[in-house]
Amino acid sequence: MNLALALMLARGAFAANRLRLALTIACIALGVALAAAVHTIHTSALAEIERAAHALAGRADLEVRGPRSGFDDEWFVKVAMRPEVLAASPIVEVEAAVAGGDQTLRVLGIDPLRAVRLQPAFVAGGGAANAADAGRLLDASSLWLTPSAAARLGARKGSRIKTIAGSSEVEWQVAGILEELAESGDLAVVDIAAAQQRLGRLGRISRIDVRLRPEANVSEAAQALRAMLPPGVVVAPPASIAGRAAAITRAYRVNLDALSLVALATGAFLVFSTLALQAARRRQEIALLRAMGVTRHGISILLGLEGALIGLAGAAIGLALGIFASRLVLRGVGADLGAGFFGGTSTVFAPDAAALALIALAGIGTAVSGALWVARAAARIEVAEALRDRAADLPVTRSRIGWIALAFALLGVPLILLPPIDGLPLGGYAGIAAWLAAAVIAVGPLCRVLLARLPEGTDAVGGIARAQVGHLPGHLAASVAGIVMSASLCVAMAIMVFSFRVSLEEWLNGVVGADLYVRSGAGGDSGYLAEDEVARLAALPQVRALEPLRYDRLALDPSGPPLSLVARPLTERMMRGFRATPAIAAPGDEVTIWISEAARDLQGWHPGERVKLPIAGRLVDAHVAGIIRDYARTWGAVLIAIDDYRRITGDSRVNDIAIHLAPGVRVQDAEQAVRAALPAARGLRFEDAAEIRRRSLEIFDRSFAVTYALEAIAILIGLAGVTSSFAALAWSRRREFGMLRFLGLRRRDILRLLALEGAATGGLGAAIGLATGIAISLVLVNVVNRQSFHWTLEVHWPVGALAALVAAIVALCAIGARVSGAMAVRDEAVLAVKDDA
Amino acid sequence: MLEVRGVAKRFDPATALLDGIDLEVRRGEWVAIVGESGSGKSTLLNIIAGLDRPDRGEIALDARTLSFGDDDALALWRRRNVGFVFQAFHLLPYLTVAQNVELPLALNGVAAAERKPRAEAALAAVQLGGFGVRRPGTLSGGEMQRVAIARALVHAPALVLADEPTGNLDETNATGVLDCLRDAAQRANACALMVTHSRRAAAAADRVLVLAAGRLTPQP
Repeated sequence: MNLALALMLARGAFAANRLRLALTIACIALGVALAAAVHTIHTSALAEIERAAHALAGRADLEVRGPRSGFDDEWFVKVAMRPEVLAASPIVEVEAAVAGGDQTLRVLGIDPLRAVRLQPAFVAGGGAANAADAGRLLDASSLWLTPSAAARLGARKGSRIKTIAGSSEVEWQVAGILEELAESGDLAVVDIAAAQQRLGRLGRISRIDVRLRPEANVSEAAQALRAMLPPGVVVAPPASIAGRAAAITRAYRVNLDALSLVALATGAFLVFSTLALQAARRRQEIALLRAMGVTRHGISILLGLEGALIGLAGAAIGLALGIFASRLVLRGVGADLGAGFFGGTSTVFAPDAAALALIALAGIGTAVSGALWVARAAARIEVAEALRDRAADLPVTRSRIGWIALAFALLGVPLILLPPIDGLPLGGYAGIAAWLAAAVIAVGPLCRVLLARLPEGTDAVGGIARAQVGHLPGHLAASVAGIVMSASLCVAMAIMVFSFRVSLEEWLNGVVGADLYVRSGAGGDSGYLAEDEVARLAALPQVRALEPLRYDRLALDPSGPPLSLVARPLTERMMRGFRATPAIAAPGDEVTIWISEAARDLQGWHPGERVKLPIAGRLVDAHVAGIIRDYARTWGAVLIAIDDYRRITGDSRVNDIAIHLAPGVRVQDAEQAVRAALPAARGLRFEDAAEIRRRSLEIFDRSFAVTYALEAIAILIGLAGVTSSFAALAWSRRREFGMLRFLGLRRRDILRLLALEGAATGGLGAAIGLATGIAISLVLVNVVNRQSFHWTLEVHWPVGALAALVAAIVALCAIGARVSGAMAVRDEAVLAVKDDA
Repeated sequence: MLEVRGVAKRFDPATALLDGIDLEVRRGEWVAIVGESGSGKSTLLNIIAGLDRPDRGEIALDARTLSFGDDDALALWRRRNVGFVFQAFHLLPYLTVAQNVELPLALNGVAAAERKPRAEAALAAVQLGGFGVRRPGTLSGGEMQRVAIARALVHAPALVLADEPTGNLDETNATGVLDCLRDAAQRANACALMVTHSRRAAAAADRVLVLAAGRLTPQP
């Protein structure tokens, strides 16, 4: 079989099936486009973060970074005085709540005279065109915005912006736009003294950017700095936020990539179905080639080439579509696909060529694998028999299929028991792939078992449909397999997401138990309430009890995610809400903490252990009393009694207050009382428990929107396979339909026959998919989710949704088969009974 | 009795494929119509079966005239009254031989308990007793055609139509099939009408007519 001959034969085969070929290429293209778009959006988001971080870092060689609450600014002098340090720039970084809305603004307080030595762009836009401009650089009320921040806030030079600091509003005047920092993202720059004084960070800094002398060794310098700095202050390469962002989002990104690749894999069955039909129709042509001396291997090359051409076309179109779609999404909506990791519109478009090439190869591989599976069957055609008769299916080998499926099913078991590999649940993914393969391979035997259990009906048309589906020609089996693949995915995700949602809802009911929650500012970390303000609220007659909450983020590992510190009263009710195990600590003098499951897994801590926590610049010995469940903080949390926290830090500020109202007090009246008690507090925000739960669940639902879209596309591809299969099947059965018309079936009986066969196909696929999906969901909940995000979920069954999914698949398959077969039962079809028709 | 009165059919304005066909076939009689390819034999068969509408003329079976306006009614009429034997056999490959033979009974609502023995009897009548569990793909051409004959007669139709029943068979098998068809039709007391281009096959019939130039004439 030479290439020219193979191409000629392939061209002929494609020309005879243009519509089906186009549908197949479209489905491959869709799968490739999805995977390419999702991946490109994420790589662009990470590139944007990296670019922004590098733009800000300028010429810095190292960054010294503390917890969110900052560290003592005296350390700046000590660092700057190091012999290896050429220049150092202190920075106060605050995520400031913008007054009057839900927005926050990242504010960097810099020392302009020092910062310019590391990042000239900090002050270049600020002028020095004349003395007046230079003076404005140090003006306490001046603020400079990057172009994207200005656009988001609708501000320009001269505008006034208010942020929340403590419980008050602080007004700034926009002194200019920092055009040179256009690549640094959304932020504002102010004088460091202004930031410290006006944003409540007196005596504190967040970061020191360090530029070393040319002769200094970076790693030795970093080591020396680490040795002198207090606990909780880390030394990292500049722009390390980019690496942290990549690490933090990796599990989420890999999960989405895996989902989109499943959608692509579903397309393999469509390719198989299309090529199997073509091969069945060309049975005599293939037999003739074999009679003329083409080997079985040559037939495999021919069919493999056809699959490769389909894959190439699909991959090329898919890549183009995916890149175009990702550009559109990035420009219009941004890089956030729902989980909230990447926000804002993106100016960076950074496709990963290697990854896209791999995705394209996956598309081609999908098509080729479908083609080679057909080639196996085509190679078994008995030449003499095929040259004589006109049977319209390929030989099927049924031996050992059951054993192969069983082997895959068993293989999945040790795979799902593997621990995470490099923080990713690769064993879980491999186990899921093995079980999917088992289900797909076992489609034939499983269909026969299921059909055998159906009672024999009295309806003749139903009996013919049942017999036809039971016969399960190869391409129909491929359609069922496609439905199995996409239905399994949908069922598994539906159970996992529902389990997650119910678990989250139950957890929220436990931890969000107060009547009213008060905070200063809608978000960020600039808002807080002072001790005297809290005391005034506690004294209100409307308040039965209140619980102050204080948050911080601890930097333990420069390259890893921060650890959240949550300080609050640890009541029995709250510990029950957190599902703390054990719920109560043994009494003692030591500082007792509870750690979240993520902290346990990421930090390697266990109950009963003593750990050292870097709090307020010193290492605090703490006893790990137990584990809590925490869905709010992905990267680990430490729960500490607020009294212990205040004793250690001397920090009496409060971020949130949970208020339990006195009996009979309405929430609205309590709000009024709080406002009256704090007349100067301009940025107060109130939420009741129901609002918090509703908002949390809204965020949850939004985060899975892209997942739902990917599942829907996988189902569509599966349905396209069924429809395509039935269209071809119906056409090849015209003579059979003609004969049935002769026997007295009406046209609508034959359409009903097709609908029943479609429904049976969909029903078989949905049933097998349901069982497989349930098994996979347990892996998602107990392995993939736990290893990716370190959360424990209880399994809950969305019975209604699953029933609706199965019904929808059956109905859509029935409709698709009926509609696609309608052409084959027109009057003229009756004439197909003639041998020479 | 089958009566065809003045049936005409034209596929283009210039040429009448059937130009006033008159025909009678009695119960138990086997009539063969011969003609060249394209003479309109299959068209005539389709019209008699109610699958094609004549430009003029009418068809009656046991004195009941077919109404060509109602497709459903024609289908039901075919289901009850007509059996077909095709050149290419047209057995459903995914049904067993017995299930293929039972098909007309199932379509007529006969219960499974009654269908099975009747199918077995029909197969025995064509010398294929015991073949019920086999699949069509395992049979020879002659065997498949005899299964088709069993299927055509299992529901005791008033009319049996055969379109080139020996077209795909060798001489020995063709003779056997024709004998089978005749015996079965006689036992069923059906009106049997066969179209064929083979005068040798036609010679097995009780009466042979020639279709040429749109007209039916007795064979000389």
